[in-house]
Amino acid sequence: MERHNSPASASHSQVIEVNIDIDRDASSFPPISNPSPTSNNKACRGGTCDLSYSKDSPERWDSMRKLVIAVVLCIVFMTVEVIGGIKANSLAILTDAAHLLSDVAAFMISLFSLWAAGWEANPRQSYGFFRIEILGALVSIQMIWLLAGILVYEAIVRLIHDNGEVKGFLMFAVSAFGLVVNIIMALLLGHDHGHGHGHGHGHGHDHGHGHEHTHDHGHNHEHEHMHSHGHEHQHEDQDHEANTIPTKHQHDHSHSNDMKESLIKKGNKKPKRNINVHSAYLHVLGDSIQSVGVMVGGAVIWYKPEWKIIDLICTLIFSVIVLLTTIKMLRNILEVLMESTPREIDTTQLEKGLCAMNGVVAIHELHIWAITVGKVLLSCHVIIAPDADADRVLDEVLGYIRRDFNISHATIQIERH
Amino acid sequence: MQEKKDATFSYQFPDGDRRLAFSRQSSFRHWDPPLPSPSPSPSPSPLLRSHSFKPYLARSDSTVGMPLLEKPGQKDATWVALILAAVRGVANGSRPMKRLALMISLNVAYSMIELLLGLFTGRVGLVSDAFHLTFGCGILTFSLFAMGISRKKPDETYTYGYKRLEVLAAFTNALFLLFLSFSLAVEALHAFMQDESEHKHYLIVSAVTNLLVNLLGVWFFRSYARVNIVYWKPEDMNYHSVCLHVLADSIRSAGLILASWFLTLGVENAEVLCLGIVSVAVFMLVLPLFKATGSILLQIAPSNIHPSAFNKCSRQIASLEEVLEVSQARFWELVPGYSIGSLSVQVKKGVHEDRILQHVNGLYNDLGIQDLTVQIDYK
Repeated sequence: MERHNSPASASHSQVIEVNIDIDRDASSFPPISNPSPTSNNKACRGGTCDLSYSKDSPERWDSMRKLVIAVVLCIVFMTVEVIGGIKANSLAILTDAAHLLSDVAAFMISLFSLWAAGWEANPRQSYGFFRIEILGALVSIQMIWLLAGILVYEAIVRLIHDNGEVKGFLMFAVSAFGLVVNIIMALLLGHDHGHGHGHGHGHGHDHGHGHEHTHDHGHNHEHEHMHSHGHEHQHEDQDHEANTIPTKHQHDHSHSNDMKESLIKKGNKKPKRNINVHSAYLHVLGDSIQSVGVMVGGAVIWYKPEWKIIDLICTLIFSVIVLLTTIKMLRNILEVLMESTPREIDTTQLEKGLCAMNGVVAIHELHIWAITVGKVLLSCHVIIAPDADADRVLDEVLGYIRRDFNISHATIQIERH
Repeated sequence: MQEKKDATFSYQFPDGDRRLAFSRQSSFRHWDPPLPSPSPSPSPSPLLRSHSFKPYLARSDSTVGMPLLEKPGQKDATWVALILAAVRGVANGSRPMKRLALMISLNVAYSMIELLLGLFTGRVGLVSDAFHLTFGCGILTFSLFAMGISRKKPDETYTYGYKRLEVLAAFTNALFLLFLSFSLAVEALHAFMQDESEHKHYLIVSAVTNLLVNLLGVWFFRSYARVNIVYWKPEDMNYHSVCLHVLADSIRSAGLILASWFLTLGVENAEVLCLGIVSVAVFMLVLPLFKATGSILLQIAPSNIHPSAFNKCSRQIASLEEVLEVSQARFWELVPGYSIGSLSVQVKKGVHEDRILQHVNGLYNDLGIQDLTVQIDYK
């Protein structure tokens, strides 16, 4: 399990070193030697094989910072509520404080997943620790479901224990306060999204990609990406209002971002969110929806104390709404965990493109799967004509996969028949 | 290259066959994605695929993807048709599947009765118990669904097949049990702080019934009623998780019965003690399963192969004279019993790749890696 480090071995006759000067991360990427086209190691361009976040990845620190702020806010509000609840001797407020505690737990899970995803890959965990993100998101979503169930149960208990203990006004006030808190956190977690990963996305995923473009000799590549860069740059600017990144930086990232977008999907500009921040956001969103539900129920009971069953109905409806919001993310998680082909890869086009190449007779055992949302791997067996040059075909295939589908980790087994 | 094409995958591992625990032969009896035979004609035949089913879990544009029926071209499935398909699937399923279905229906019926009783008589304890049961039933239904669907052949979107779902179901079960143990601990703390010792007599009946139903489940899956099991097939994990689930439930019911008996005896803090013991017991019970399923889902290297064996193989390959370097060797387990790997080998120019491929594949097949992709780079 030796890792191939990029500095060229002594047997190269021609070594050209190019120092890539990306603004923030000059420290984290070692200078890359420019390999000649028949290079030593086709498998991995770029310093550390991209299977762990580089330590200074801004996207990761951004997300972690947001989550830490959310956790701190939550703890502050929770202590306020606990103190208020004990002073007012009200069970409802204490229950809401417990709810906030569950929020804190969910954020902790997301934070831990984010942090753990940056650990270096080792031989036992050869694909890095990205999957922890997915599992953490799964645990978060299970917690959301659990909390929805608990809320419905509490509504039923409220229905049964109808000895006048239910104070509609108190329910209303407490849930209104909870709603305000949740909205603040939703803004915090959701607003910076476009900003944060606009450059993070280009950075984290495509830096190797970007390198390749500046190195490749084929001038048509340069031409192509200059074209799309110019085209998409304005588009990027529209997407991110709060854009404080210096434009030079933005330039670097937006062009690698667009390479992928313009080639794979036309017109689908939805950038990828970090899945952990997104699941924390879903948690907060679900809480606000449920707060709205409890508010409605409290208002109804306050107004007409005999319509207690409205509370239960409201809670049921809003719980179902919360569960519906989690379904999409659950589907994504399920697909990644089942090692299925990611949605953004068009398999038929890939196969057609591969088979149309010179020397390729057939392909089989094609497996495309994702480690986490956005990191895709591919493995396949390619059967070539008996007289074809295996090396050249391998180069072409790898290049095609990397260029057109942005899959950076492909393992191709060439066979002859 | 793949010598074992065992298309018929046997479900029932011979009972009590623990003597195979040390041998590696059983790892060859596995599910193998059907390999198409390469076409001899030089004309480019684009896609060599022997299976072209529609994906079972279809990626439709609706927000909730519903499983398609067997008949192709039937777009909207009515609920009745779905239920009929589910019943048919269970009736044709394996024995554990049928038993699990029986247990789930028992549990569902029982929890319905409990819920209605609790609502009409106004007893909160019954309602909470019913909720708990329903949640557990939901998880068990997911396990059942995974059992049913895992027999599907791999298709375009799920190129590795559907067996992973069993591992996922086992993981969900384990997670639920962890939540359960945590909630029991919270309940114990609550009882400790509240210091209420109400004799919940009406709960005794429900606890005893619960215990009986769960003990029936334990009896069904009795060969998996252990904490540490070596997993040979994906179903092993699923059955183990189901067994642990019902075992944990029965421990909980037994704990409740014990607690109320102690309360009638006059023991102080009986509830706290019993709940605490039950919570710790469930936690210890489920931890190995959680770790095992988690490590498969996290794509950790196969646990049944020692890391030094990997190093040894790698060195053996590098010691061949044509080979310059072995790099990027990565291995992971798809399901217990089926491991996949990929590695990159650099060789001197002009070497024919067949020999190297055969040698490398042979080495790793001996270890138990069934599916290997070797990329040969020429210097």
